[in-house]
Amino acid sequence: MRELLERYRFLLLAIALLLATVLLYSYNLRQKTATTFFERAVLTFATPFQVGIDGTTDTITASWKNYLWLVDARQRNIELGQENLELRAQLQQVQEIALQNKRLRKLLAFVDDLDHSALPAQVIGEDGSNWARTIIIDKGTRSGLHAGFPVVAAAGVVGRIIKTAPDSSRVLLITDASSAIAALIQRTRTRGVARGQGNNLSIEYALRDAEIQVGDLLVTSGMGGVFPKGLPLGLVESVTKDQFGLFQQITATPTNDFSYLEEVMVIVGEDR
Amino acid sequence: MKGFLLFLLTGILFALLQTSVLPLFFLPNWRPNLILILILYLGLSENLSRALIAALLLGAIQDSFCGATLGLYVSVYVVIILVTRLLSGQLNVESPPLLLLLIAGGTLLQNLLVGFYLTVFAETASVLHILLSAIPLQLISNMFFATILLFLLLRFQRLFGYRSGLAGLMYQSKHHGS
Repeated sequence: MRELLERYRFLLLAIALLLATVLLYSYNLRQKTATTFFERAVLTFATPFQVGIDGTTDTITASWKNYLWLVDARQRNIELGQENLELRAQLQQVQEIALQNKRLRKLLAFVDDLDHSALPAQVIGEDGSNWARTIIIDKGTRSGLHAGFPVVAAAGVVGRIIKTAPDSSRVLLITDASSAIAALIQRTRTRGVARGQGNNLSIEYALRDAEIQVGDLLVTSGMGGVFPKGLPLGLVESVTKDQFGLFQQITATPTNDFSYLEEVMVIVGEDR
Repeated sequence: MKGFLLFLLTGILFALLQTSVLPLFFLPNWRPNLILILILYLGLSENLSRALIAALLLGAIQDSFCGATLGLYVSVYVVIILVTRLLSGQLNVESPPLLLLLIAGGTLLQNLLVGFYLTVFAETASVLHILLSAIPLQLISNMFFATILLFLLLRFQRLFGYRSGLAGLMYQSKHHGS
Protein backbone atom coordinates (compact mmCIF):
# COMPACT_ATOMS: atom_id res chain seq x y z
CA MET A 1 0.00 0.00 0.00
CA ARG A 2 2.75 2.37 1.06
CA GLU A 3 4.73 1.47 -2.02
CA LEU A 4 1.69 2.19 -4.16
CA LEU A 5 1.26 5.57 -2.50
CA GLU A 6 4.94 6.32 -3.03
CA ARG A 7 4.79 5.32 -6.69
CA TYR A 8 1.72 7.38 -7.54
CA ARG A 9 2.52 10.25 -5.21
CA PHE A 10 2.51 12.91 -7.95
CA LEU A 11 -0.73 11.65 -9.49
CA LEU A 12 -2.49 11.41 -6.14
CA LEU A 13 -1.28 14.85 -5.10
CA ALA A 14 -2.45 16.28 -8.41
CA ILE A 15 -5.90 14.70 -8.11
CA ALA A 16 -6.29 15.73 -4.45
CA LEU A 17 -5.27 19.33 -5.20
CA LEU A 18 -7.51 19.55 -8.24
CA LEU A 19 -10.49 18.22 -6.32
CA ALA A 20 -9.80 20.56 -3.41
CA THR A 21 -9.55 23.63 -5.63
CA VAL A 22 -12.63 22.72 -7.66
CA LEU A 23 -14.55 22.18 -4.41
CA LEU A 24 -13.33 25.55 -3.12
CA TYR A 25 -14.50 27.20 -6.35
CA SER A 26 -17.89 25.44 -6.29
CA TYR A 27 -18.41 26.35 -2.65
CA ASN A 28 -17.60 30.00 -3.32
CA LEU A 29 -19.93 30.06 -6.32
CA ARG A 30 -22.79 29.51 -3.88
CA GLN A 31 -21.49 32.26 -1.59
CA LYS A 32 -21.17 34.84 -4.38
CA THR A 33 -22.00 37.96 -2.40
CA ALA A 34 -20.12 36.90 0.74
CA THR A 35 -16.66 38.42 0.96
CA THR A 36 -14.25 35.85 2.38
CA PHE A 37 -11.66 36.74 4.98
CA PHE A 38 -8.90 36.25 2.41
CA GLU A 39 -10.57 38.52 -0.15
CA ARG A 40 -11.23 41.18 2.50
CA ALA A 41 -7.61 40.97 3.64
CA VAL A 42 -6.28 41.30 0.06
CA LEU A 43 -8.61 44.21 -0.71
CA THR A 44 -7.72 45.94 2.57
CA PHE A 45 -4.02 45.42 1.96
CA ALA A 46 -4.27 46.60 -1.64
CA THR A 47 -6.44 49.69 -1.08
CA PRO A 48 -3.70 52.07 0.18
CA PHE A 49 -1.45 50.95 -2.69
CA GLN A 50 -4.21 51.41 -5.25
CA VAL A 51 -5.12 54.82 -3.83
CA GLY A 52 -1.41 55.68 -3.86
CA ILE A 53 -0.91 54.45 -7.43
CA ASP A 54 -4.06 56.30 -8.52
CA GLY A 55 -2.81 59.49 -6.84
CA THR A 56 0.68 59.09 -8.28
CA THR A 57 -0.60 58.55 -11.82
CA ASP A 58 -2.85 61.59 -11.41
CA THR A 59 0.15 63.65 -10.27
CA ILE A 60 2.33 62.35 -13.12
CA THR A 61 -0.43 63.02 -15.65
CA ALA A 62 -0.96 66.48 -14.22
CA SER A 63 2.81 67.17 -14.29
CA TRP A 64 2.98 65.93 -17.86
CA LYS A 65 0.06 68.11 -18.88
CA ASN A 66 1.09 71.12 -16.83
CA TYR A 67 4.81 71.14 -17.23
CA LEU A 68 6.60 68.59 -19.36
CA TRP A 69 4.86 69.24 -22.63
CA LEU A 70 5.45 72.92 -22.07
CA VAL A 71 9.25 72.52 -21.88
CA ASP A 72 9.65 73.12 -25.60
CA ALA A 73 7.30 76.06 -25.47
CA ARG A 74 9.24 77.53 -22.59
CA GLN A 75 12.49 77.21 -24.51
CA ARG A 76 10.93 78.95 -27.49
CA ASN A 77 9.26 81.58 -25.37
CA ILE A 78 11.85 82.01 -22.64
CA GLU A 79 10.79 85.61 -22.12
CA LEU A 80 7.47 84.45 -20.70
CA GLY A 81 9.39 83.20 -17.69
CA GLN A 82 8.51 81.24 -14.62
CA GLU A 83 5.53 83.35 -13.70
CA ASN A 84 3.78 82.61 -16.96
CA LEU A 85 4.50 78.89 -16.52
CA GLU A 86 3.10 78.84 -13.04
CA LEU A 87 0.01 80.68 -14.19
CA ARG A 88 -0.48 78.17 -16.96
CA ALA A 89 -0.04 75.32 -14.51
CA GLN A 90 -2.57 76.91 -12.18
CA LEU A 91 -4.92 77.45 -15.08
CA GLN A 92 -4.59 73.80 -16.03
CA GLN A 93 -5.34 72.82 -12.47
CA VAL A 94 -8.35 75.12 -12.39
CA GLN A 95 -9.54 73.63 -15.68
CA GLU A 96 -9.08 70.13 -14.29
CA ILE A 97 -11.03 71.09 -11.17
CA ALA A 98 -13.69 72.77 -13.30
CA LEU A 99 -14.01 69.61 -15.41
CA GLN A 100 -14.23 67.46 -12.31
CA ASN A 101 -16.77 69.89 -10.87
CA LYS A 102 -18.82 69.63 -14.06
CA ARG A 103 -18.71 65.84 -13.94
CA LEU A 104 -19.69 65.78 -10.26
CA ARG A 105 -22.52 68.28 -10.84
CA LYS A 106 -23.81 66.10 -13.65
CA LEU A 107 -23.55 63.09 -11.37
CA LEU A 108 -25.32 64.92 -8.52
CA ALA A 109 -28.06 66.14 -10.85
CA PHE A 110 -28.54 62.55 -11.99
CA VAL A 111 -28.75 61.32 -8.41
CA ASP A 112 -31.09 64.22 -7.49
CA ASP A 113 -33.43 63.08 -10.24
CA LEU A 114 -33.33 59.61 -8.76
CA ASP A 115 -34.78 60.70 -5.42
CA HIS A 116 -32.42 58.34 -3.63
CA SER A 117 -29.56 59.19 -1.30
CA ALA A 118 -26.21 58.34 -2.79
CA LEU A 119 -22.55 58.27 -1.81
CA PRO A 120 -19.86 59.50 -4.22
CA ALA A 121 -16.86 57.24 -4.79
CA GLN A 122 -13.68 57.30 -6.82
CA VAL A 123 -12.67 54.47 -9.15
CA ILE A 124 -9.24 53.24 -7.98
CA GLY A 125 -8.79 50.00 -9.89
CA GLU A 126 -10.05 47.70 -12.61
CA ASP A 127 -10.38 43.96 -13.02
CA GLY A 128 -7.16 41.95 -13.17
CA SER A 129 -8.38 39.76 -16.04
CA ASN A 130 -9.45 40.41 -19.59
CA TRP A 131 -12.75 38.54 -19.43
CA ALA A 132 -14.37 39.82 -16.22
CA ARG A 133 -15.64 43.38 -15.96
CA THR A 134 -15.29 44.75 -12.43
CA ILE A 135 -13.93 47.95 -10.91
CA ILE A 136 -12.67 48.84 -7.44
CA ILE A 137 -13.99 51.94 -5.68
CA ASP A 138 -12.53 53.75 -2.67
CA LYS A 139 -15.53 53.32 -0.33
CA GLY A 140 -16.38 50.24 1.70
CA THR A 141 -18.13 48.99 4.81
CA ARG A 142 -16.72 51.89 6.86
CA SER A 143 -18.86 54.18 4.67
CA GLY A 144 -21.88 51.93 5.12
CA LEU A 145 -21.64 50.04 1.82
CA HIS A 146 -22.70 46.41 1.45
CA ALA A 147 -22.85 43.82 -1.31
CA GLY A 148 -25.80 44.40 -3.61
CA PHE A 149 -25.83 48.22 -3.51
CA PRO A 150 -26.39 49.68 -7.00
CA VAL A 151 -23.72 51.93 -8.51
CA VAL A 152 -24.51 54.62 -11.08
CA ALA A 153 -22.69 57.32 -13.06
CA ALA A 154 -23.99 60.40 -14.84
CA ALA A 155 -24.92 58.48 -17.99
CA GLY A 156 -26.67 55.57 -16.28
CA VAL A 157 -26.18 52.30 -14.43
CA VAL A 158 -22.62 51.14 -13.73
CA GLY A 159 -23.29 47.90 -11.83
CA ARG A 160 -23.65 46.60 -8.31
CA ILE A 161 -21.29 45.98 -5.40
CA ILE A 162 -20.25 42.34 -5.04
CA LYS A 163 -17.41 42.43 -2.49
CA THR A 164 -16.66 44.84 0.31
CA ALA A 165 -13.67 45.65 2.48
CA PRO A 166 -13.46 48.42 5.12
CA ASP A 167 -12.21 51.05 2.66
CA SER A 168 -12.90 49.62 -0.78
CA SER A 169 -15.47 47.66 -2.72
CA ARG A 170 -15.61 45.67 -5.96
CA VAL A 171 -18.34 46.55 -8.41
CA LEU A 172 -19.62 44.07 -10.99
CA LEU A 173 -20.21 46.09 -14.16
CA ILE A 174 -23.37 45.56 -16.20
CA THR A 175 -21.16 44.41 -19.09
CA ASP A 176 -19.76 41.43 -17.15
CA ALA A 177 -20.90 38.08 -18.51
CA SER A 178 -22.35 37.09 -15.12
CA SER A 179 -24.43 40.26 -14.82
CA ALA A 180 -28.14 40.08 -15.65
CA ILE A 181 -30.53 42.96 -14.96
CA ALA A 182 -34.29 43.14 -15.39
CA ALA A 183 -34.78 45.78 -18.07
CA LEU A 184 -37.36 47.32 -20.37
CA ILE A 185 -37.33 49.28 -23.60
CA GLN A 186 -38.49 52.75 -22.58
CA ARG A 187 -40.56 53.50 -25.70
CA THR A 188 -42.37 50.19 -26.14
CA ARG A 189 -42.27 49.03 -22.48
CA THR A 190 -41.04 45.63 -23.69
CA ARG A 191 -39.52 43.65 -20.85
CA GLY A 192 -36.33 41.64 -21.05
CA VAL A 193 -33.12 40.74 -19.27
CA ALA A 194 -30.00 42.79 -20.04
CA ARG A 195 -27.01 40.45 -19.93
CA GLY A 196 -23.38 41.58 -20.14
CA GLN A 197 -21.34 40.63 -23.20
CA GLY A 198 -17.98 42.14 -22.34
CA ASN A 199 -18.28 45.47 -24.14
CA ASN A 200 -22.02 45.61 -24.78
CA LEU A 201 -25.31 44.12 -23.62
CA SER A 202 -27.68 41.54 -25.05
CA ILE A 203 -31.36 41.77 -24.25
CA GLU A 204 -32.84 38.36 -23.71
CA TYR A 205 -36.49 37.30 -23.60
CA ALA A 206 -37.79 40.37 -25.47
CA LEU A 207 -41.00 39.22 -27.18
CA ARG A 208 -40.84 38.88 -30.95
CA ASP A 209 -44.00 40.96 -31.55
CA ALA A 210 -42.57 44.12 -29.93
CA GLU A 211 -41.53 46.79 -32.46
CA ILE A 212 -38.10 47.69 -31.11
CA GLN A 213 -35.96 50.08 -33.11
CA VAL A 214 -32.26 50.86 -33.20
CA GLY A 215 -31.59 53.79 -30.87
CA ASP A 216 -34.37 52.93 -28.38
CA LEU A 217 -33.38 53.56 -24.77
CA LEU A 218 -33.04 50.54 -22.47
CA VAL A 219 -33.79 51.26 -18.80
CA THR A 220 -33.96 49.26 -15.59
CA SER A 221 -37.41 47.81 -14.88
CA GLY A 222 -37.00 47.78 -11.11
CA MET A 223 -38.14 44.15 -11.05
CA GLY A 224 -34.96 42.63 -9.66
CA GLY A 225 -35.17 44.70 -6.49
CA VAL A 226 -31.56 45.88 -6.82
CA PHE A 227 -31.83 48.85 -9.18
CA PRO A 228 -34.47 51.57 -8.94
CA LYS A 229 -36.83 51.73 -11.92
CA GLY A 230 -36.05 53.86 -14.97
CA LEU A 231 -32.24 54.15 -14.82
CA PRO A 232 -30.63 54.24 -18.30
CA LEU A 233 -28.73 51.07 -19.20
CA GLY A 234 -27.99 51.38 -22.90
CA LEU A 235 -29.14 52.22 -26.41
CA VAL A 236 -30.38 49.52 -28.76
CA GLU A 237 -27.69 48.81 -31.34
CA SER A 238 -29.19 45.98 -33.40
CA VAL A 239 -32.43 44.03 -33.63
CA THR A 240 -32.62 40.60 -35.28
CA LYS A 241 -35.78 38.54 -35.72
CA ASP A 242 -35.29 34.91 -36.71
CA GLN A 243 -37.89 33.12 -38.78
CA PHE A 244 -38.95 31.08 -35.80
CA GLY A 245 -38.79 31.53 -32.05
CA LEU A 246 -40.64 33.46 -29.39
CA PHE A 247 -38.04 36.13 -28.84
CA GLN A 248 -35.98 38.58 -30.86
CA GLN A 249 -32.24 39.07 -30.52
CA ILE A 250 -31.25 42.54 -29.41
CA THR A 251 -27.89 44.07 -28.59
CA ALA A 252 -27.38 47.40 -26.85
CA THR A 253 -24.46 49.73 -26.23
CA PRO A 254 -24.13 50.81 -22.57
CA THR A 255 -24.85 54.51 -21.98
CA ASN A 256 -21.73 54.72 -19.79
CA ASP A 257 -18.26 54.53 -21.30
CA PHE A 258 -16.60 52.27 -18.75
CA SER A 259 -13.08 52.94 -20.01
CA TYR A 260 -13.34 56.56 -18.83
CA LEU A 261 -15.09 56.05 -15.53
CA GLU A 262 -13.57 58.19 -12.75
CA GLU A 263 -16.33 59.01 -10.28
CA VAL A 264 -19.43 57.02 -9.47
CA MET A 265 -22.35 57.22 -7.04
CA VAL A 266 -23.43 54.33 -4.84
CA ILE A 267 -27.16 54.40 -4.14
CA VAL A 268 -27.36 53.75 -0.44
CA GLY A 269 -30.87 54.76 0.59
CA GLU A 270 -34.52 54.16 -0.10
CA ASP A 271 -36.77 56.72 -1.83
CA ARG A 272 -36.40 60.17 -0.25
CA MET B 1 13.44 30.88 0.57
CA LYS B 2 14.33 34.56 0.19
CA GLY B 3 14.04 34.26 -3.56
CA PHE B 4 10.69 32.49 -3.22
CA LEU B 5 9.28 35.25 -0.96
CA LEU B 6 10.56 37.80 -3.43
CA PHE B 7 8.61 35.99 -6.15
CA LEU B 8 5.45 36.19 -4.02
CA LEU B 9 5.97 39.90 -3.48
CA THR B 10 6.51 40.25 -7.22
CA GLY B 11 3.16 38.46 -7.71
CA ILE B 12 1.40 40.98 -5.43
CA LEU B 13 3.11 43.82 -7.29
CA PHE B 14 1.95 42.31 -10.60
CA ALA B 15 -1.63 42.09 -9.27
CA LEU B 16 -1.53 45.78 -8.32
CA LEU B 17 -0.02 46.66 -11.71
CA GLN B 18 -2.72 44.69 -13.51
CA THR B 19 -5.54 46.43 -11.65
CA SER B 20 -4.24 49.97 -11.24
CA VAL B 21 -1.55 50.84 -13.78
CA LEU B 22 -2.04 48.70 -16.91
CA PRO B 23 -5.72 49.74 -17.30
CA LEU B 24 -4.46 53.30 -17.83
CA PHE B 25 -2.54 52.26 -20.94
CA PHE B 26 -4.18 49.11 -22.32
CA LEU B 27 -7.68 48.05 -23.25
CA PRO B 28 -8.82 44.86 -21.44
CA ASN B 29 -7.94 42.55 -24.36
CA TRP B 30 -4.43 43.97 -24.65
CA ARG B 31 -3.64 43.70 -20.94
CA PRO B 32 -1.06 40.98 -20.26
CA ASN B 33 -1.58 38.46 -17.48
CA LEU B 34 1.67 39.05 -15.60
CA ILE B 35 0.77 36.59 -12.85
CA LEU B 36 0.36 33.79 -15.41
CA ILE B 37 3.85 34.53 -16.75
CA LEU B 38 5.19 34.38 -13.19
CA ILE B 39 3.34 31.11 -12.52
CA LEU B 40 4.81 29.50 -15.66
CA TYR B 41 8.26 30.69 -14.71
CA LEU B 42 7.87 29.30 -11.17
CA GLY B 43 6.55 26.03 -12.61
CA LEU B 44 9.79 25.65 -14.53
CA SER B 45 12.26 26.95 -11.99
CA GLU B 46 10.99 26.07 -8.48
CA ASN B 47 10.49 22.62 -6.96
CA LEU B 48 6.98 21.20 -7.16
CA SER B 49 5.82 21.90 -3.62
CA ARG B 50 6.99 25.52 -3.71
CA ALA B 51 5.51 26.03 -7.16
CA LEU B 52 2.16 24.63 -5.96
CA ILE B 53 2.13 26.83 -2.85
CA ALA B 54 2.88 29.82 -5.08
CA ALA B 55 0.09 28.78 -7.46
CA LEU B 56 -2.41 28.56 -4.59
CA LEU B 57 -1.41 31.93 -3.12
CA LEU B 58 -1.06 33.83 -6.38
CA GLY B 59 -4.27 32.27 -7.71
CA ALA B 60 -6.15 33.41 -4.60
CA ILE B 61 -4.67 36.89 -4.92
CA GLN B 62 -5.72 37.08 -8.58
CA ASP B 63 -9.18 35.78 -7.64
CA SER B 64 -9.48 38.64 -5.16
CA PHE B 65 -8.99 41.10 -8.02
CA CYS B 66 -10.90 39.28 -10.78
CA GLY B 67 -14.45 38.21 -11.41
CA ALA B 68 -16.72 37.31 -8.55
CA THR B 69 -15.62 33.96 -7.16
CA LEU B 70 -12.63 32.91 -5.08
CA GLY B 71 -11.15 29.62 -6.28
CA LEU B 72 -11.26 29.98 -10.07
CA TYR B 73 -7.65 31.05 -10.64
CA VAL B 74 -6.48 28.92 -7.69
CA SER B 75 -7.67 25.84 -9.55
CA VAL B 76 -6.54 27.06 -12.98
CA TYR B 77 -2.99 27.82 -11.78
CA VAL B 78 -2.68 24.46 -9.98
CA VAL B 79 -3.52 22.71 -13.27
CA ILE B 80 -1.05 24.92 -15.15
CA ILE B 81 1.74 24.14 -12.67
CA LEU B 82 1.05 20.39 -12.92
CA VAL B 83 0.99 20.47 -16.73
CA THR B 84 4.16 22.59 -16.79
CA ARG B 85 5.90 20.04 -14.56
CA LEU B 86 4.86 17.19 -16.81
CA LEU B 87 6.06 19.02 -19.91
CA SER B 88 9.28 20.45 -18.52
CA GLY B 89 10.81 16.98 -18.25
CA GLN B 90 10.15 16.31 -21.92
CA LEU B 91 11.17 19.66 -23.40
CA ASN B 92 14.35 21.58 -23.80
CA VAL B 93 13.32 24.54 -21.69
CA GLU B 94 16.76 26.14 -21.99
CA SER B 95 15.77 27.38 -25.41
CA PRO B 96 14.34 30.94 -25.17
CA PRO B 97 12.00 30.56 -28.19
CA LEU B 98 10.60 27.40 -26.64
CA LEU B 99 10.05 29.25 -23.38
CA LEU B 100 8.03 31.85 -25.26
CA LEU B 101 6.07 29.06 -26.91
CA LEU B 102 5.36 27.69 -23.43
CA ILE B 103 4.01 31.12 -22.48
CA ALA B 104 1.75 30.97 -25.53
CA GLY B 105 0.65 27.44 -24.58
CA GLY B 106 0.05 28.55 -20.98
CA THR B 107 -2.08 31.46 -22.18
CA LEU B 108 -4.19 29.15 -24.33
CA LEU B 109 -4.52 26.59 -21.53
CA GLN B 110 -5.50 29.28 -19.03
CA ASN B 111 -8.23 30.62 -21.35
CA LEU B 112 -9.44 27.08 -22.02
CA LEU B 113 -9.65 26.28 -18.30
CA VAL B 114 -11.30 29.60 -17.36
CA GLY B 115 -13.84 29.05 -20.15
CA PHE B 116 -14.44 25.48 -19.01
CA TYR B 117 -14.91 26.39 -15.34
CA LEU B 118 -17.16 29.35 -16.07
CA THR B 119 -19.30 27.39 -18.51
CA VAL B 120 -19.59 24.18 -16.51
CA PHE B 121 -19.67 25.46 -12.94
CA ALA B 122 -20.86 29.07 -13.12
CA GLU B 123 -23.11 28.68 -16.20
CA THR B 124 -21.91 31.92 -17.76
CA ALA B 125 -21.45 30.54 -21.25
CA SER B 126 -21.45 34.02 -22.81
CA VAL B 127 -17.99 34.52 -21.34
CA LEU B 128 -16.65 32.16 -24.04
CA HIS B 129 -17.31 34.81 -26.66
CA ILE B 130 -15.32 37.37 -24.62
CA LEU B 131 -12.48 34.91 -24.00
CA LEU B 132 -12.21 33.73 -27.61
CA SER B 133 -12.11 37.24 -29.04
CA ALA B 134 -9.41 38.21 -26.53
CA ILE B 135 -7.07 35.25 -27.13
CA PRO B 136 -5.06 36.54 -30.14
CA LEU B 137 -4.41 39.92 -28.53
CA GLN B 138 -3.56 38.37 -25.19
CA LEU B 139 -1.16 35.94 -26.82
CA ILE B 140 0.78 38.80 -28.40
CA SER B 141 0.66 40.85 -25.22
CA ASN B 142 1.74 37.98 -22.91
CA MET B 143 4.62 36.97 -25.18
CA PHE B 144 5.80 40.56 -25.52
CA PHE B 145 5.74 41.14 -21.76
CA ALA B 146 7.28 37.71 -21.09
CA THR B 147 10.23 38.72 -23.30
CA ILE B 148 10.66 41.96 -21.33
CA LEU B 149 10.33 40.17 -17.97
CA LEU B 150 12.82 37.48 -18.99
CA PHE B 151 15.26 40.18 -20.02
CA LEU B 152 14.77 41.97 -16.68
CA LEU B 153 15.11 38.71 -14.76
CA LEU B 154 18.45 38.01 -16.40
CA ARG B 155 19.56 41.51 -15.42
CA PHE B 156 18.45 41.14 -11.80
CA GLN B 157 19.18 37.44 -11.46
CA ARG B 158 21.45 37.97 -8.46
CA LEU B 159 18.49 39.29 -6.46
CA PHE B 160 16.19 36.34 -7.17
CA GLY B 161 18.82 33.64 -6.82
CA TYR B 162 20.37 31.63 -9.63
CA ARG B 163 18.31 28.91 -11.23
CA SER B 164 19.30 26.16 -13.54
CA GLY B 165 17.48 24.62 -16.46
CA LEU B 166 15.84 27.78 -17.71
CA ALA B 167 16.17 29.75 -20.87
CA GLY B 168 19.35 31.78 -20.86
CA LEU B 169 19.98 31.03 -17.20
CA MET B 170 21.60 27.63 -17.43
CA TYR B 171 25.15 28.74 -18.06
CA GLN B 172 25.04 31.12 -15.13
CA SER B 173 23.55 28.61 -12.73
CA LYS B 174 25.26 27.31 -9.62
CA HIS B 175 25.80 23.98 -11.38
CA HIS B 176 27.83 25.64 -14.05
CA GLY B 177 29.46 28.37 -12.02
CA SER B 178 28.37 31.99 -12.06
